[in-house]
Amino acid sequence: MKKTILLFIALFSVGIAQAQNTCASSPPINPDQVYTVSAINGNVPPSFCEGTAGSTDAGEWYKYTASENGSITVTTDLPGTGGADTRIQIYSGNCGNLNCEGGDDAGGTGTTSLATINVEAGTTYYIVFDNRWYSGGFDFMLSEGAVILEGLSFTNSNIVSVGSTECVVDMNGDFLDDIVSVTATNIRVNAQQPGGGFIATDYITTNADHTPSWSICAGDINGDGFNDLLYAGGGGVTFMMSNDTQTAYTEDSFDEYVFCQRSNMVDINNDGRLDAFVCHDVDPNVFFINHGANDLRFYQGGLGETPDGGNYGSVWIDYDNDQDVDLFIAKCRGGDSPANINQLHRNNGNGTYQEVGIESNLYDNVQTWSSAWGDYDNDGWMDALIGASSFTNGYHKLMHNNGDGTFTDITAGSGWAEGELFSGTGIEYAPADFNNDGYIDVRTSSGVIMLNNGDMEFRPEAVPSSTGAVGDLNNDGFLDIMAGGTIRMNDGNENNYVKINTIGTVSNKSGIGARVRIVSALGAQIRDVRSGDGFAYMSSLTAHFGLGFDDEIERLEIYWPSGIIDVIENPEINTTHNVVEGTHVFTDVEEVEGITSITTYPNPATNVLNITADTDLKNANVTIFDINGKRVYDAVLKNNSINVEALTQGVYIVVIRGTEKTLQSKFTKL
Amino acid sequence: MGVVVILILSSCRKDTEEDCPVPPVAVGDVNVILDQFPFETLSEYNFFVGEMSNQSPNTGVQPYDIIAHLFTDYALKKRFVWIPPGEKAHYVGDHKVLEFPVGTVIIKNFYYNNVQPSNTTRIIETRLLVRKQEGWRFGEYVWNDDQTEAYLDLSGSYTDIEWIDENGVDRAANYRIPSDAECFTCHKNYNIASPIGPKPQNMNFDQEYTNGSANQLQKWMDLGYLEAMDPSSVSTVVDYTDINESLLERSRAYIDINCSHCHQEGSHCDYRPMRFAYSETTELINLGVCVEPNELINSDLIYVISPGNSERSVMHFRLGSTAEEYRMPLLGRTIVHEEGLELIENWINSLDIVCQ
Repeated sequence: MKKTILLFIALFSVGIAQAQNTCASSPPINPDQVYTVSAINGNVPPSFCEGTAGSTDAGEWYKYTASENGSITVTTDLPGTGGADTRIQIYSGNCGNLNCEGGDDAGGTGTTSLATINVEAGTTYYIVFDNRWYSGGFDFMLSEGAVILEGLSFTNSNIVSVGSTECVVDMNGDFLDDIVSVTATNIRVNAQQPGGGFIATDYITTNADHTPSWSICAGDINGDGFNDLLYAGGGGVTFMMSNDTQTAYTEDSFDEYVFCQRSNMVDINNDGRLDAFVCHDVDPNVFFINHGANDLRFYQGGLGETPDGGNYGSVWIDYDNDQDVDLFIAKCRGGDSPANINQLHRNNGNGTYQEVGIESNLYDNVQTWSSAWGDYDNDGWMDALIGASSFTNGYHKLMHNNGDGTFTDITAGSGWAEGELFSGTGIEYAPADFNNDGYIDVRTSSGVIMLNNGDMEFRPEAVPSSTGAVGDLNNDGFLDIMAGGTIRMNDGNENNYVKINTIGTVSNKSGIGARVRIVSALGAQIRDVRSGDGFAYMSSLTAHFGLGFDDEIERLEIYWPSGIIDVIENPEINTTHNVVEGTHVFTDVEEVEGITSITTYPNPATNVLNITADTDLKNANVTIFDINGKRVYDAVLKNNSINVEALTQGVYIVVIRGTEKTLQSKFTKL
Repeated sequence: MGVVVILILSSCRKDTEEDCPVPPVAVGDVNVILDQFPFETLSEYNFFVGEMSNQSPNTGVQPYDIIAHLFTDYALKKRFVWIPPGEKAHYVGDHKVLEFPVGTVIIKNFYYNNVQPSNTTRIIETRLLVRKQEGWRFGEYVWNDDQTEAYLDLSGSYTDIEWIDENGVDRAANYRIPSDAECFTCHKNYNIASPIGPKPQNMNFDQEYTNGSANQLQKWMDLGYLEAMDPSSVSTVVDYTDINESLLERSRAYIDINCSHCHQEGSHCDYRPMRFAYSETTELINLGVCVEPNELINSDLIYVISPGNSERSVMHFRLGSTAEEYRMPLLGRTIVHEEGLELIENWINSLDIVCQ
């Protein structure tokens, strides 16, 4: 009798011991119970939610079915684990089709693991302990908890890429963001389809002398309606130019040695043709001026001339609201070299730039490789989050644009300061509104997206693989993140949005450098269309705005580099507007509701135009446009009068841009 | 230091004389004129006698070597130094570059043997570091295919090379010849240009001379190149290829010569936590053991060095990478040093420490 029972128990134990070797036979886990696993020798999972595949070849499988909505935490951080190097993968779906839900590698003490996910009632989750690092025994436990409120959530899916995947931008001219991955001899475009999903096309190229090891950017340099690419490599720059049917790309490699870092496409000399700028790590910066007809020429000097470089993160934005793009360079260097002092180059409007780091108060030797520029408080001026790559020369800096050419350090209390909510360092900081609440957030490369609370305070949201190229990869109005073959698709929420594509005619075709502004109940938001943000990636050229619960937009304004202003009243929300320059030219005088208008006199005017208003106009920005919307005068108002002697005869519109309202009046010059 | 006149017979194998370039004739003493540095061609300096490609030093051009070598795509090196006659270098510290007099030229030839397709020796470049009144300056000379002359080129270039190494393994590289800016990136301290190799820690070993073996520092003193100092007290690196030395000492030597020029106090990247100079790596934390990296590459790589686990160590990942944005050293190599990677892997995996 005893023998039979012993045999039965032995068989039963063996049965239990083998059940967790496969998904199909995975035993259920009861909460709050310590389980001991003797070895990891079951089936390897088919994919990995957390970490790399490496030499992983085994897993132990368990399952859990949630009886109610909430969260589960699975941990190996227990005495019986002995500090072993475990790793956890968690899936939903079924054994033939598993979807990643989460996982963890070294989130427990030392290299033990601690994974937490939200769970839905009735859903079964598969929990796998894999042998990426260790095949021995360990203990684990599952506990249940309340739903964890997430400011953001993403769902992973994979894309088949070839080579580096760092670029999300429209490549085939349909204004849907595509995914671009490149090698020296191939460009793979995963083209987003209107109905969802991607179709891959490979374009064979001649061998690029330089591949985008450090950064990549895109824009329509040859103005044929299709974006071209710039590969920024450790030894130089290669352009890949699309033909006018987007069926082939032509390589244009430059011989000059450039230790590239961030690259951008931008119209440097405002001649309507898109140029390119590349940070040089160890020499003065270089740029390529577009002389038309595929004539791109290399220049060095005049835009960051530090002899030994230190140039890492360049970004082109209009910081002084004078409708031309300025250049900020995030800089870094050791050995007490002044090459690490950040620079702001103000565009003088006439093809020259002046370095104004000291005057602007952005002169700072914090060790940084990129900065995130956005109007974080929606006051109409571009602010900057300067992100530290190392803390040796100070912490992250949140710089508030005062609207007068200077910035104030408001880091303390923002969540970014030392001892506050974010202690990561990294090379990527870039702005985007990820939860569509109308306030720009900042993505970092430390597994965190800092969500903007709207009052210059930020709170960290843990987002594994928080960095990559950003764009709307399923056209749902929510921004997604793409890196290394994995799409992190934003799960979205109930907030509204609008997207605008700027199609230049007089200005460069991509509309890069255009200021896009919308006004809704929550206030006025601005975007500067830019190619090359953060450090390495190319994110979408589409201007994206979250609207929170606002269900209408008062007006959409586009201030083009050419000076032309397009205005669309009451544009539709939750859609994309593709606006061609000059098709909605602002000429009508409008009275802004709720505010007194301005008066200009005398009318007609010959020498001096006087301006009165009920609001204080001190230091207001005044712009005068001709009847075609072309900017002819731009300055800070002094003594409430403007000398108009130089203007040719005609009708003009005076625009005074306040922080929330735009005041306008019309006059005739004789 | 007498006048030496040598007639050179061309080793050219072409059929007609017109096809054979006449190599420059070495006449006279070494020719270093500081305010004319750099010359357009290497031959003008007269550093070498006979055919320049034989790399036979002229009088006063002293060959030297260092104990642990920088890896540069398996290129072989011949190192020389020219100290102005009557002048001497001074000892400053075990771990500091010798203080050389103004007018010193440090010479380093980079070459490969068994170069394909003809199994020849090919010298690719000669790098010069000259101490002018205002500081050290760089000269970069690229050798022609005929190996008769090298031409000044400070703008940098690439050359393809294929060779068979001493184990019979076929190797190839797209070899990078540095520009002036690249030289300065590594060859500086607190933003002042400087040599890297000639430190007592690297030079304190025996070399073979015409009259037998001798300690190199002692030999320099005997020859009048170096002020009196005591080699016996110098803290010295080991030859990292010597399997009789400990993994730790071998790794410290390897990391010093391959990494510390950019990762030590006062260097290009001293804003990163690592301190890799031999004088700094008496502390394991300076080597990055249990130190979290500033940049999160992926969740595998939790520390610069994860003791016992080379696959979880950023240093191991970077040493094994050829991607421009990940590889270390960042400049100076394009292919992986397999033996060096194996050394570091073995050392990391031998570490029996638990990170807190």
